[in-house]
Amino acid sequence: MNALEIKKLVKHFDGVYAVDNLSLAIEKGKIAAVIGPNGSGKTTLINLISGIVPIDSGVVIINGVGARAIKPYNVPAYGITRTFQEVRLFNQMTVIDNILVVLTERNVFGALFEKHSAHHLKRVEEVLIKVGLWEKRSALAQSLSYGQRKLLEIGRALAMDSEVFLLDEPFAGLFPEMLKIMVAAVKDLRASGKTVVLIEHNMDLIRELADHVVVLDSGKLLAEGKSEEVLSRPEVMEAYLGE
Amino acid sequence: MDILPQLIVNIIIAGAIYALVALGFNLIYGATKFFNLAHGVIAAVGGYAVFYFAKTLGWNVYLAVIIGVLLAGIAGYGLDKFVYLPLRKRKASNMVLLVASLGAFTAIQAVIAILFTSQFKTLSYSVGTQRIFEIFDGVITQTQLIILMSVALITAGLILLLYKTRFGKAVRAMSDDEEVAKIVGINTNRIIGRIFFIGSAIAGLAGILVGFDTGIEPTMGLGLLLKGVIASIIGGVGNIYGGVMGAFLLGFVENFGIWKISGEWKDAIAFALLIVFLLFRPKGIMNK
Ligand SMILES: Nc1ncnc2c1ncn2[C@@H]1O[C@H](COP(=O)(O)OP(=O)(O)OP(=O)(O)O)[C@@H](O)[C@H]1O
Ligand SMILES: [Mg+2]
Repeated sequence: MNALEIKKLVKHFDGVYAVDNLSLAIEKGKIAAVIGPNGSGKTTLINLISGIVPIDSGVVIINGVGARAIKPYNVPAYGITRTFQEVRLFNQMTVIDNILVVLTERNVFGALFEKHSAHHLKRVEEVLIKVGLWEKRSALAQSLSYGQRKLLEIGRALAMDSEVFLLDEPFAGLFPEMLKIMVAAVKDLRASGKTVVLIEHNMDLIRELADHVVVLDSGKLLAEGKSEEVLSRPEVMEAYLGE
Repeated sequence: MDILPQLIVNIIIAGAIYALVALGFNLIYGATKFFNLAHGVIAAVGGYAVFYFAKTLGWNVYLAVIIGVLLAGIAGYGLDKFVYLPLRKRKASNMVLLVASLGAFTAIQAVIAILFTSQFKTLSYSVGTQRIFEIFDGVITQTQLIILMSVALITAGLILLLYKTRFGKAVRAMSDDEEVAKIVGINTNRIIGRIFFIGSAIAGLAGILVGFDTGIEPTMGLGLLLKGVIASIIGGVGNIYGGVMGAFLLGFVENFGIWKISGEWKDAIAFALLIVFLLFRPKGIMNK
């Protein structure tokens, strides 16, 4: 079964086709890596699926539900969450509040003036321990190091309890210690039946993690398939090295 | 008699009123990132609502005050719902929103003038019945005491709301990054609507208290808005603590400034303070 499917997706920015008539299907419970040279449209693809930029044409089908236009605040309702290539946190808030804020039961008027309940606090603790930031829980997000910020962002995504996780270069620039935490978090997602779309440049990590690889070039699909098979194709390596 | 104690009382009162305006203004700015100039005229809405219900209709004053505060809140909420929200949905820039708020300011002020004439009016029944308290060597009226207590209560209430409730977390998240707030499931437009209600209700209370302290006229909103905005900017726009600090600093500088010179200089002094801040610390006391 497909967790995520896109059909003939198009997005252009004054003349540049960032995503060009792209069709893909991503199987539920798998890790799909999206690779491609700089500017090949990987981030734009995630931006389209998460409603950050509007779709020019085409359809996104999430768990069998099709959408031509996605509103950012409906994204959680579709069971989708994401991280950003340039980490985006709630900087003026503490680490713990960065997670708590996503745990609000939505659309409940009564929750307006309430405090968080015990099960929320328990969930936050779980998530922060998992990403190794429990000790830092009272620090302001803006005071964290680069790696800690990446981990907090993935923590926020984990707390969303979504079905599909769109991760834009989550490993980039991480030192080994934090890389290990991040890799474990991504593997755990697959182990619990979630679907991961992973943008990544590091081939070793892709070989280790990805079940499926999608290669983009200038917004078009260059190749896709089982990771070992796709990564051994000469034209794929050429797209990477030949720029 | 030494003038200093009275000067201090005056500073505190002025600061308190500016703080009330700045609190609501900052709350709204933090959530929306545009200068809602209509905030000033909302204060007048509160003042005139009390005038109408208490003096024209003769209702109980306390009831009239509650209605006035609620009406101001509803006016602010309505502005957002029917003017700003449709503009935001059309991806209007903050400049467009600012101009729209200026238009709303002018229109509402004109309606008030048509309904109630431009004449200056007082809200208090008879000035003689105001109780007056002496503290040290200064004099403070009952209304002014209520102003002070309101500021303390509202500041504390807002801080509790923003830092202790789930609603407050959502508001702060939205102030930090509205787009991310959306994708983690925060309905930002609904939050902005509620923020407009709360911020405008506080502005309404400011207008009502000024009405009891001195009086009301349709143009009262402009003066309040300008002082509130100056307080916000020198304190750090969008920052709740900053607004309060800026307000008292403004009250201090203004009132000390006119200690030895004529009172007409007050506004000039306020703007001089603003310019000093814009030149040397444009983000205000609290923001770096
Ligand atoms: N908001 C935007 N406005 C204008 N052009 C954009 C915008 N976003 C992306 N582009 C363009 O679309 C193309 C694809 O960009 P995108 O960020 O999706 O690439 P990418 O594959 O994520 O690259 P990288 O590996 O560097 O992150 C680029 O040419 C980029 O300049
Ligand atoms: Mg990218």
